[in-house]
Amino acid sequence: MNDKKLKAKDFITIGIFSALIFAVEFACGMLGFIHPYIVAAYVVLIPLVGSIPMMLFYTKIEKFGMLTIMSVLLAIVMFVTGMGWLGGPLIIAAGFVADLLAKKGNYKSFKLIAISHGVFCLWICANYFPVIVTAKDYRKNMLEGGYSAEYCDNLFRAINGKTIGVLLILCFVFGVIGAFLGKAVVKKHFEKAGIV
Amino acid sequence: MIKISLDPRTKLFMIFAVSFIVMVNAITPLEWGIRIMVTLIPILLLVTEGKYASAFRFTVFYGASLLLLKYCISESSTGIFSAILVGYCGIVAQFLPAMITAWYVIRTTKIGEFMSAMQKMHVPDGISISLAVVMRFFPTIKEEYSSINDAMKMRGISLGGGKVTKMIEYRMIPLMFSCISIGEELSAAAVTRGLGAPVKRTSPYELKMKAADFIMIGIFAVSVIIFITAKYFR
Amino acid sequence: MIEIKNVDFQYKGSEEAGLHDVSLSIKDGETILLCGASGCGKTTITRLINGLIPHYYKGELSGSVTVSDRDIAQTELYDLASVVGTVFQNPRSQFFAVDTDGEITFGTENIGLPPAEICRRKAEVVNELELEALLEKSLFALSGGEKQKIACASVSALMPEIIILDEPSSNLDWKAIGELKNVIRKWKENGKTIIISEHRLWYLKDLVDRVVFLENGKIVHEWNKNEFSSLTSEELQQYGLRPIKLEEKYIREFGGEMFSPESRSSDTTFEKAVTIRDMYFTYKPQKYVLFRKKLTAESSDKYTISIPKLRLPQGSVTGLIGRNGAGKSTFLRCLCGLEKSCPVKLDIDNESISGKGILKKCYMVMQDVNHQLFTDSVEAEVLLSMKSEDKEYADKLIAELGLAGFENTHPMALSGGQKQRTAICSALAANAEILLFDEPTSGLDHRHMKIVGGLLRKLAERGKTVIVSTHDPELISLCCQYLMCLENGRIKYFRKV
Repeated sequence: MNDKKLKAKDFITIGIFSALIFAVEFACGMLGFIHPYIVAAYVVLIPLVGSIPMMLFYTKIEKFGMLTIMSVLLAIVMFVTGMGWLGGPLIIAAGFVADLLAKKGNYKSFKLIAISHGVFCLWICANYFPVIVTAKDYRKNMLEGGYSAEYCDNLFRAINGKTIGVLLILCFVFGVIGAFLGKAVVKKHFEKAGIV
Repeated sequence: MIKISLDPRTKLFMIFAVSFIVMVNAITPLEWGIRIMVTLIPILLLVTEGKYASAFRFTVFYGASLLLLKYCISESSTGIFSAILVGYCGIVAQFLPAMITAWYVIRTTKIGEFMSAMQKMHVPDGISISLAVVMRFFPTIKEEYSSINDAMKMRGISLGGGKVTKMIEYRMIPLMFSCISIGEELSAAAVTRGLGAPVKRTSPYELKMKAADFIMIGIFAVSVIIFITAKYFR
Repeated sequence: MIEIKNVDFQYKGSEEAGLHDVSLSIKDGETILLCGASGCGKTTITRLINGLIPHYYKGELSGSVTVSDRDIAQTELYDLASVVGTVFQNPRSQFFAVDTDGEITFGTENIGLPPAEICRRKAEVVNELELEALLEKSLFALSGGEKQKIACASVSALMPEIIILDEPSSNLDWKAIGELKNVIRKWKENGKTIIISEHRLWYLKDLVDRVVFLENGKIVHEWNKNEFSSLTSEELQQYGLRPIKLEEKYIREFGGEMFSPESRSSDTTFEKAVTIRDMYFTYKPQKYVLFRKKLTAESSDKYTISIPKLRLPQGSVTGLIGRNGAGKSTFLRCLCGLEKSCPVKLDIDNESISGKGILKKCYMVMQDVNHQLFTDSVEAEVLLSMKSEDKEYADKLIAELGLAGFENTHPMALSGGQKQRTAICSALAANAEILLFDEPTSGLDHRHMKIVGGLLRKLAERGKTVIVSTHDPELISLCCQYLMCLENGRIKYFRKV
């Protein structure tokens, strides 16, 4: 029997953790309804909160494909819930690269896991793609409607084509920080309880 | 009212098309017309499925945001209130069509049908199994979370003693413990029922594209083409 | 034909008890009951037969297990799926699909049967187990008993010759157990080989052919049907088993009639009491525009729960019984203030409390106690409940409830009973006056049930008002001084035990 291949049980574990990550995304998404600016804060919130399940997830399967499949699932759910498919390639690419990185350390080296988690967190930026794509046209529309340029810039200050780079970097940085946080939580609770 | 049941693949194409259309800005009346049409189609489909309440809510919500947007955007006020309002309405008017379509698809598709469609589209079993687990776990997480919330209320720690980190910790940790133990038992129960067999999974649903499916795909494909030509070949 | 020969098994990295030199052979068409205390190895035996050992649960295994001429160790689980079917303990966690139809066909989809065959088998199973009413429903909307029926159907659709049931009744009420019994009887009539591991014995006594008793991973006794049903209750107690015959009055009380002749005449005067007032609650509130209409006595006949006034004895244990859906859980939720729209008021010690105050005075130990443990050690868990942290008092409580030595253990690493006691500890630390228990003994063996019973009495002796909802008559006779029965969200009777 090939132990390197994913088995039925692993697919179930991947599904559970994807659902948990999505629950985190939804919970943060609710905050986004308060004001669109909070949407920009996803890059901090989701990596930090999501790191708790993610770090446990890293200890659970330790086989190649776990992150790639998770990213495909995230992309599918994003697509089906109408959050756009433009981000799909980014999500899957992030998942695949993260998987490769973690594999390099045999899913054991914490240094590589931290970087891998940072890369994985880039998927969060897929949330912004539709806004970025539409923002330009939208701004033009508003300018024609009589709004001042300054005002429009204000509205889209946090999320636009220029800041996406910054957002990506933030995702990565907080992903790495989250890895440390998540690891601490895993140690505090799950290792102590004997689950890992 | 006649119930129009569409093939899950058609529904997926509808989401694809609408998600595309909402990302391109509508300028001419024709484009606005198409946009409103692709919004109205899922609403009408919701009505044929007997989901009157959600159809009504979506219509009012979408209509209101369109009207507000039309009147607010022509004003030259720069107050904070209108900024927030414009921000909201802009986003609602822009993305609500995609939300409505997604809502329609999620509400009217059985998981089994969806899985069957995935099989037809040659998605690997591994991915469809994981996806089925995601679908099964959303309601589970909701159930578990509400029990945990109750328990927190009884302990008077809903606010985590004022610390945000504790608030998150007290919610996440029991939730994850529950999900993991449910997952263990679920896996055991699933493998004893043959999950993981090296054969292609099958499904009792036999999907067939019908006339309605082709009409829908036609309408949405044409709409997408019109938007593409308008944007790139104007 | 199942042949287990000289099997030794030890779980890897777990202290969970294994098996020592177990040999057992089961003939085709036999119905076997495995019984014994928790951790005696009966679940492990079921796992040997369905192949979860060694393919899913890892450990050291020696000896041989053959099922229908297949060597289990050499057979993949998916090949066993249509030979051995298993119904598990927890109805909440064993289903894979979201809707009932998908769940029934799940196994047949996995082994790749053609669509027409899947539909044929589904129709057959639905007809045989009478499931028409449950089709096309969300599994999340079903009761535990209904979920368990669907689990049986899903197993049945694979048409295995051997069916294993691992503590199937743990989370079921009286009526659901009756239906489960019918399913097992049908399987038996169809010639299936049935192996049941169970604590509740009364419902199985006329179904089983042979009873196997285990202790510490060894088979200690075997009884045939007649020997088993003639065991006296003293003998059963010696073996640590739950009774196989139940007292007449409980059969009447639980079995559906819900009528007790003593109900009217019995003496329910007690001096110290907690008075519940205005407990009204409905799951279908009236539509409102701005302000929710207060639930009042006037339209109470439409409510899910309607209890204008009820006196509960302070310092005693009151058992809460009633059919599934009678409102037991809702009653407990209202009583501890979790339902915001319920205008309930409590009078305790000449003090009237309502709203948020109730949450402080009441504490419910939930059926799934895992939901109410938040911290990383038992001590922290207890301290969390205190207004000002008093370590000495916390340790005293911990010791009192028999958890000494576990102060620094993670609550999730404890056994089920220890978790329950940790939750009780934190309730005591929070100074709760009214302690509610939602089915604390489901899935417990006789010894643990006795411990819980003793604990509840002890809490009552401390002056706490204890209310326990249960389906176990044994628990009532162990600890309850009063018994109240709910029907349709109304008090049917309240009497002394």
